[in-house]
Amino acid sequence: MSTQTAEVSRLAILQRSPRQIAWHRLKRNKVSMISAYIAIFFLILAFGAPIFTAIFHVNNTNVYPNALSASGMPIGPWGGVSWKHPFGLEPGVGRDLFGLLVYGSRISFSVAIITSISFVVVGLFLGISAGLIGGVLDNVIGRICDFLLAFPTIFMFVALSVPLTLRVEATGIAHNNGARIVVMVLILVVFSWPGFFRVVRSQVLSIREKEFILAARVAGASNIRIIFKEILPNLWPLAIIYLSISLPGYLAAEAVFSFLGVGVQAPGSTWGLVLNDASNFWQRDPAYLGIPAGMVIIVVLTLNLFGDGLRDALDSKSDR
Amino acid sequence: MAFKNLFSRQKRVVASVAIMALATSGLIAISSSADAASKTGGTLYFITQSKQLNRLDPARIYTGQDIAFMNTYVYRSLLSYTPTTGDAGFNLVPDLATDIGKATDGGKTWSWTLKSGIKWQDGSVVTCADEKYGLSRVFATDVITDGPSYLLQDLNIPSDAKGNLMYQGPYKKTGQEYFDKAVTCSGMTITLHLNKAVGDFNYFGTYPAMSPVKQSADNGAKYDSAPWALGPYKVADYKIGTELKLVRNPQYQQSTDTIRTAYPDQIIMRFGISEDIRDQIFLKDSQTNAVDYDQNLQPANKVAFFANKATASRGINVVGPYTGYYALNVSAGHLDCLAARKALFFALNDDALIKLAGGTQFYGTIGDNPISPLVSTDYAPTTGNIHDANFKLTGNPSYAKTLLAQAKTQCPATYSKITTANKGVVWDISNTTTNQKAATLIKTALNAAGIQVTFKFIESGVYYPTVQDATKEDDVASGGWAADWANASTVIPPLFLQHGGFDLNLNWNDPTYKPFAAQVAAAQGETSRTKQAGEWKVLAQFVMDQYWTIAPVFQKEQNFWGSKVGGAAFWMPQGCLLFPSLYVIQ
Amino acid sequence: MVKYLTRRLASAILLLFLLTIVVYLIFGILPVDPARISCGIHCNPIAVAGNRHRLGLDVPLYEQWWRFFVGIFAGRTYGDGAARFTCGAPSLGYSFPNNECVTTAIAHAFPFTLSLAVGAFILWMASGIGLGVIAARYRGSFIDRGVTAFVLVGSSLPVFVVGLLVYILAFFLHAIDPISQGIWVSPLSDPIGFFKNFIFAWIALALSYSAIYTRLTRGNVIETSSEDFIRTARAKGLSERRILFKHNLRTALAPLLTNAGLDFGGLLGGAIITETIFQLPGLGEISLKAVLQDYDLPLIVGTTVVAGAFIIIFNLIVDIGYAYLDPRVRVG
Repeated sequence: MSTQTAEVSRLAILQRSPRQIAWHRLKRNKVSMISAYIAIFFLILAFGAPIFTAIFHVNNTNVYPNALSASGMPIGPWGGVSWKHPFGLEPGVGRDLFGLLVYGSRISFSVAIITSISFVVVGLFLGISAGLIGGVLDNVIGRICDFLLAFPTIFMFVALSVPLTLRVEATGIAHNNGARIVVMVLILVVFSWPGFFRVVRSQVLSIREKEFILAARVAGASNIRIIFKEILPNLWPLAIIYLSISLPGYLAAEAVFSFLGVGVQAPGSTWGLVLNDASNFWQRDPAYLGIPAGMVIIVVLTLNLFGDGLRDALDSKSDR
Repeated sequence: MAFKNLFSRQKRVVASVAIMALATSGLIAISSSADAASKTGGTLYFITQSKQLNRLDPARIYTGQDIAFMNTYVYRSLLSYTPTTGDAGFNLVPDLATDIGKATDGGKTWSWTLKSGIKWQDGSVVTCADEKYGLSRVFATDVITDGPSYLLQDLNIPSDAKGNLMYQGPYKKTGQEYFDKAVTCSGMTITLHLNKAVGDFNYFGTYPAMSPVKQSADNGAKYDSAPWALGPYKVADYKIGTELKLVRNPQYQQSTDTIRTAYPDQIIMRFGISEDIRDQIFLKDSQTNAVDYDQNLQPANKVAFFANKATASRGINVVGPYTGYYALNVSAGHLDCLAARKALFFALNDDALIKLAGGTQFYGTIGDNPISPLVSTDYAPTTGNIHDANFKLTGNPSYAKTLLAQAKTQCPATYSKITTANKGVVWDISNTTTNQKAATLIKTALNAAGIQVTFKFIESGVYYPTVQDATKEDDVASGGWAADWANASTVIPPLFLQHGGFDLNLNWNDPTYKPFAAQVAAAQGETSRTKQAGEWKVLAQFVMDQYWTIAPVFQKEQNFWGSKVGGAAFWMPQGCLLFPSLYVIQ
Repeated sequence: MVKYLTRRLASAILLLFLLTIVVYLIFGILPVDPARISCGIHCNPIAVAGNRHRLGLDVPLYEQWWRFFVGIFAGRTYGDGAARFTCGAPSLGYSFPNNECVTTAIAHAFPFTLSLAVGAFILWMASGIGLGVIAARYRGSFIDRGVTAFVLVGSSLPVFVVGLLVYILAFFLHAIDPISQGIWVSPLSDPIGFFKNFIFAWIALALSYSAIYTRLTRGNVIETSSEDFIRTARAKGLSERRILFKHNLRTALAPLLTNAGLDFGGLLGGAIITETIFQLPGLGEISLKAVLQDYDLPLIVGTTVVAGAFIIIFNLIVDIGYAYLDPRVRVG
């Protein structure tokens, strides 16, 4: 980029609001935009699962025993890929893999989205409280934060999954896989807010001393008003960045837990569960492993690329 | 027993022919020295995906193949099954004892005389006191768990008002005098006084629970990780999750032994080998001196293994002693209604479930009896169940719906429970890869009939302890059982009596239970074997008609080994390879 | 400095202390009964009571914790009479299904975890810093683009998918010896065997870390290269090589060490996914098995406490290291 055009574009940028600048920067990032389209495609696929699977006349519960050989392997090359079963079939049982994956991604996406939003909300709430009120409260939350960060998250998850699920079931909130999903979200949120909290708190501490806050205080604005009108708008970019960056992480986390056998269980279906099963069949039915693995990689990768783009767009200091 | 280990399909026992065999000592000739030289030496590997052997303590070990393994290599019990293939294997031969046991008092008193001069691994001599001490440990039920309960049931030791035995084992020593009366030593002869006549009690002499333990070596619960050796090998190292290493026991004298050949210099069992790697080892023969201790490959790999002539010679596929089944919990609030139980049975897609596990070629065939046909004296085809005109192997949802309609009028509470979503039939299932798939198949079949189901996945290692707890068992549990020896007295009472040891039906409050239990007791006390067999047949029919047990499968089993393993053959009574004859080809 | 150190040390010890309490309490109130679980097939109330007594579960929860806590320093004796047995200090409990002291189980598992962590650490630090520096040096070139692509893909591939793929690759290359897989081979007695045991697991584990560290290095090197002291050095006529290695890297890599310390500490507690896929019986694998196979509570508590302790200890080390490098922290 020559100096001259850079100057021109800088001028153009100067005349816009920060939101417009960010949008402009994001749109210019082709990789991010393509990634966003792909990710949105999968998201639509996930939440429109009943519609899309109906196109192929399959779903995630029907079994097709006739499509399996006597030893339970799908008949035909590529794990039984055909017009009837676009991704082939699950060995041993005979459910349609496309149905399993599409319905499974609903669970994976739901866990990721609920977890991300929850921990951002918790982090914002506690971060603002600690930063604004300070004193003992700040100290206490800070300590809890230190403490939670000392816990090995994945260990805690592995160890707590079984008994906590029993507890959740005992309360009657949810059953079986419902309960397991609740536990998954709960543990992920509990152990992931501290990192975000620290960033929010330090931002709030620096914003607190800015002139416009002082001005608002002098004008007699209440704390609530200051939070909503002055502080939160300044934290949105941060929240959005964290949200988009953590989303693929939690998507993978769901898959990992189900893969390890401590997440969702059959007859439910999630990506992790399918991958766990497929890892036993990779020699005889490589497509059964390849298709879900490819799908997970594509979704996580595109979400990450989009998140990166978003961060670059929102964070004025970033440098690509 | 022989309940089935859920992890690796370990199995055990069953005698199809012999009831009482005469002592034939020195039955197998020890091979000539030239022959022995070409077989002696090397390391024999056993491969398993389990992380450990269930138990090593002789009083606690109760999974079929483990018993044969440890009895062959590490301990020695009073008796053994003959180490040979075919029906001749069912004959008892003395091991530590000089004969297969003398019964007096019509089978109420049994005595054995021990061989003298047999040494422990520290060089001390085995005494009758050691034998007696070994038996006494079984009574310390707070420490010695999991083992067979025949000694607890049969030895003549009184119970207190609550039904607890008055002798509580050698650690607490409470009631020692009762035990001292029931088991007596005189020189090298040990005598057991039973509380009833048990005509074939000596078959129990093959169990490690009947082997001696030296009191000074007994460290309670810890004995389970390093039991003392009497056999040709001793435990050199036992790391759970990694390996069990057996090395030669220098105090072992081949001259006192007519059963073992002890060719390999070292025996190593490798734990925690993944299914993939295990299958690879035997398909590709990549570890030539290895034996598949899981007695299993993944279904599709089994097909490949036996389809290829080059590999098929390194394996056997036989009808095994085990019956797999679903036990229905018939206590109040569960499946306490016959029509509901029948609906469940007729709705199941047995075909898909069998196919999932390897098909009729490798898994087994649907059965009509809790007693395996291998217990030929006591087995007879039953009527009803799979012989019912409405039975379909792939499930009959419409007939199941008819039965469900009957249940609706006969037992509305049970009906509403099993047809309500989020409740339904609660199925206890052990958490394995195959079972996760089975759950899908079960759910599909039951839903088609309008029955709801939820699964409780239980970690494999705690599956039996959990479902055996009457307060924890849900509506359906799965089990696998093989007769301990060729008498249905080792099947019907343990599976269906309240104190039998493996009653998953919780049937003791059922109105039909009292007359049933009385009939079982009568059959147990029956001295004519022919009459007794007739009674077992009637009782088996009753159990099937009550649908306490549904969809039994008479299972097949396979064994696999590498190309450098010699002497591999099937040991019928133990339901596994003939360990005493295995060697590494030099 | 001494004051800072004491304060930091005290807070780490307090955290460790709290860790044992919280882990113990969380597990203590869960609806799982180890006495029943470890009771076996033919269970009866006497056996359950016996187990409960032997496991020390027949006393109130706070006392259970106290015994556990004291056991860490003084060792612990379970049961009485002939069934009595002792786990020497530091005792983290007794695993019933495994019939061994938790400390022993952890001691068996730790060499695997340590080897995995150290090997992967070396691999990712070397490759991450190397690639990062190269990319920064040739910023904008096709090398830089390639490295950036690696960073993007590498850091977003889920660890367990990478692990599986690397494992399958190793299998195809016949690089996994089925019999010796998972058996401890000392690097001193058989370095080649040791290397063969771990190399693929190292690669699988290091991949995503390597991508992250490449990104960090590249960013830091670029950032420092525009600082005044680099310009001064350049003005003095020093060679680019000399500037990079003598001045730029030293400044750029210091903040990296913080991350590296924390990541390494986290891994020492066990890399569950990698260990599970490669069947390395390290801390992560044994704790997962303890959960999935028999809910072996004492082993789970033990591994969790150890994993937490490593995180706390490495936090401490990193903080002290930082204070040593940057005097401002000490007063702050």
